[in-house]
Amino acid sequence: MLQQLTNLSDKELISRARKLKDQEAEGVLMERYSHLMVAVCLPYLNNGPGTAPEEVYPRLLQRLSASLKTQTIPKANEWIHHTIRAQQAQTEKNNPFFPSTESREQQQLENKVEKVATNLKEQQLLAATMEATLDKLPAEDKYFLKEFYLNNKTFTELATTKKYSVEKTRQILQQAKQKMASLLMNETYE
Amino acid sequence: MSNLENNEKLLKIFSNIRCLNRDQLPRYLDGRLTDVEKHLVEQHLVDCDLCFDALQVLQQPQYREKYQPLATSMQQYIRSSIKRISQVHKVERYQRQEQKKESFLIYFWIVAAIAIGAGGIYLVQQQGKFKAPVSKAIASNTELRTTQSETPPVQASIVTPVREENEVGRKPAAPVTNVTAAPPVTATPPPAAPPKPVVKDSVKAVAKPPAPVTAVKDSIKDTARKQLAAAPKAPEVKDPAKDKTPAPDRKDTPTVAKKTEDKPEPKAPPKKEKEDAPEKKTVAEPTSTDEFLYKAAMVYHQQGDLNEAISRYKHLSESPGKYGELSRYQLAICYRSKGQTGKARRMFKEVVRMNGSMKEKAQAALDNL
Repeated sequence: MLQQLTNLSDKELISRARKLKDQEAEGVLMERYSHLMVAVCLPYLNNGPGTAPEEVYPRLLQRLSASLKTQTIPKANEWIHHTIRAQQAQTEKNNPFFPSTESREQQQLENKVEKVATNLKEQQLLAATMEATLDKLPAEDKYFLKEFYLNNKTFTELATTKKYSVEKTRQILQQAKQKMASLLMNETYE
Repeated sequence: MSNLENNEKLLKIFSNIRCLNRDQLPRYLDGRLTDVEKHLVEQHLVDCDLCFDALQVLQQPQYREKYQPLATSMQQYIRSSIKRISQVHKVERYQRQEQKKESFLIYFWIVAAIAIGAGGIYLVQQQGKFKAPVSKAIASNTELRTTQSETPPVQASIVTPVREENEVGRKPAAPVTNVTAAPPVTATPPPAAPPKPVVKDSVKAVAKPPAPVTAVKDSIKDTARKQLAAAPKAPEVKDPAKDKTPAPDRKDTPTVAKKTEDKPEPKAPPKKEKEDAPEKKTVAEPTSTDEFLYKAAMVYHQQGDLNEAISRYKHLSESPGKYGELSRYQLAICYRSKGQTGKARRMFKEVVRMNGSMKEKAQAALDNL
């Protein structure tokens, strides 16, 4: 049963956990992200009372479990990151997770790309639209996107070229992508 | 071709890539990923704050040391809790399955019991249907026992031949001198029946038949006896529901008859009687022949073979005396059973005209027709 569940996507596991109250599915989902939770929480361990790993992680899991039953979760990684940040901020008030507008737009585009994957004609049409949108972006954003996605440059290479840090390079890429997603979605609405 | 590749590269800006797994994370940090894999991870890192934060933390050596044991213990903690849940689930699932099986078996046996019950009822009904035609055919005869007390004269008239035998039959059991006195009684049967029309007596009497009748087959005798005992009691079919009830009575009578039949045989006519026998035969022969023919016809009538019964009754109806009248009466009943009311009426009228013992009975039947 566990083996079968590990092959399911995040969306399916969440659905099972919510609709069927399948705690095994919930466990599989938690296990899938457990190493990332451990890593992200490491700087906040042993910093004061109630920050021992034996307390922090079970509490985090409980919080996630409770949140899973009530929240709409389009992306598991964003939901987990939001919950960890909320716990680290030590806010007992359960701050509900809502995906940002940029995130929703990006997800819509991801779905669109997935949808046209089997249709070459539609693929070409979407690619042409994206190319046109890419040209509308600021020069730096356009440069970073083209270098990273079309020329397969790494964060380090881009950072070295522009003399930015890796974090800054990633931030520029993220913002450029969000701008592009917004432009594309606006074109779709028009 | 290059255009296609370019398209694919453009589309991958918005391709969905999964988070780093527990194997990829240290390998990325150590720079042990292939170029393609590394590029895919970095594509994901552009969007995923969780993975990027995790990588940022793990790049610091003090956290890197703590990471591995904590990640393992965390995984074990989650797995153990899942295991417990899954065991509980398994038990619940097993119990649910067992309950389902049990309920299925209960339903199955209920359905089977209903089916068997329905089948039994159906068979009983079918059996009843098969019996019905025979009982209808002889309804007029079998019904009579119920009306026995109400119609004493008619009953008496039909029982008379049996009663004659009673007298004859009883006498062999008695001293020999009485037997010799019997023939005149058998030769001239009284038209009006005396009282005591007890069925047992009549059966006993038939069971001890006189010498000429012994040549006839036993089976025909038995049935004829039964018929004789029943015949006078069946003037009309008034209530169809009564058809079924007499059946067991008829079944019972042969056994009684057989029992009684066995008794007289050892008391067969003594040797002295041999001298008187020829005289007896000569006197009683016409009546006993008619009686035998009448009984045979009754057997056919009882078995539902109305055409054969009619032809035999017709043959007998020509003969003078009591059997002629009885045969006509039975003939009328046969016609009535066949639905030939005209013929039945005519025959009943003839019986009435004969002004015999069956007059009243025939008149009643005529009135009912």
